[in-house]
Amino acid sequence: MHSSFAAESVVQIGIFKVTNALINALFVDIIIIAICYLVAKNIKLIPGYLQNATELIIHSFYEMTESVAQEKAKIIFPFFMSFFIFILLSNWTALLPGVTSIGFFKDHELVPLMRGATSDLNTTLGLALVSIAATHIMSIRAVGVKDYLSRYISLNPINLFIGILEIISEITKVISLSFRLFGNIFAGEIVLFTVSGIFAFLFPIPFLTLEIIVGLVQALVFSMLTMAFMAILTTPHHQPDHA
Amino acid sequence: MEIINNFGLDPLLLGAQIVNFLIIFYVLKRFLYKPVLGILKKREDTIKEGLRQAEDGKKLFEEAQNKEKEILTRAQNQAQTILEEAKIQTDELAKQIEQKAQKNASDIINSATEKINQEREIAEKKLSEYVSRLAVELLEKSASELFDAKDQKQLIKIATDKFKKLN
Repeated sequence: MHSSFAAESVVQIGIFKVTNALINALFVDIIIIAICYLVAKNIKLIPGYLQNATELIIHSFYEMTESVAQEKAKIIFPFFMSFFIFILLSNWTALLPGVTSIGFFKDHELVPLMRGATSDLNTTLGLALVSIAATHIMSIRAVGVKDYLSRYISLNPINLFIGILEIISEITKVISLSFRLFGNIFAGEIVLFTVSGIFAFLFPIPFLTLEIIVGLVQALVFSMLTMAFMAILTTPHHQPDHA
Repeated sequence: MEIINNFGLDPLLLGAQIVNFLIIFYVLKRFLYKPVLGILKKREDTIKEGLRQAEDGKKLFEEAQNKEKEILTRAQNQAQTILEEAKIQTDELAKQIEQKAQKNASDIINSATEKINQEREIAEKKLSEYVSRLAVELLEKSASELFDAKDQKQLIKIATDKFKKLN
């Protein structure tokens, strides 16, 4: 069983290491594509059970986005929802039986075939970078290059100082988003591993329930922070924001 | 560098995860959010349209009810007017008929009275002639026994003249 920060390599293709976290991400992709296929194939004006549930979730999240971002909800919502779905499924699939326990032995140590994608810093950092990059691209499109740059660069010394702080805050956003998610999920996996090691039956169930909640909360935190950052940065610099 | 190695940061893996997420983002946006939000919008529009039509229908129904009431009131008023006019006309007609009948009756009575008078006059005249003739005949018969021919003639002449005067 793994206990290292780094995801274990399962297969190596040239210089590219296919890690168990990447395999989990691909597994999540398959689930998402399957859901999309099933929903898109059978979409009707009078919905079935799956479409109803999908509509309920999407509509609730869209309304949540509208309440924060108002008229920008249409462009922010796809990011907000995609981050939520991907992170939630990554977190929860890591809790499935066998995900961190089925694998192969390498140097007398079990290398699981799958490990929670979000318990690998490459995934969480990638997600954070996409989130911040999308936020800044959206900001430039919404407020224009001049207003966007005026947030960070100014001839006024006080505003210039604030601008420098803003740049630092943008860097810390990436670090905080990636490490918060990674830390919570990785710590959860370690807790479950330890607890299961103490007593494998019934005893881990409360911790498993806790991890289910943590998985949901972390997915919400990441996606809602992204939404808030997007709502703030797409508001012109000198106007009060809605977030 | 040691921290990066400890966390297993790998630019290739990082890039792979970014590309992976971007693909999933596109798939979700294209095949889930777009159709689902589209169908939600379509349903919302359908419901709005239905509500609007129901509202229009309600308005039309109210308008029809008002129109119906208006027509009924107008018809009742017209009927009332027609009835009143008819009554007036009937009264006038009855009055005219009555007057005409009275006039006819009066004419008939007058005509009958006149005819009766004429008949009576004729009858009286005939009766008088007849009585005169009878009287003359009686006188002739009586006088033949009491008077001579000359007196008889004179007597008859006097009597005839008197009868003629009477008639």
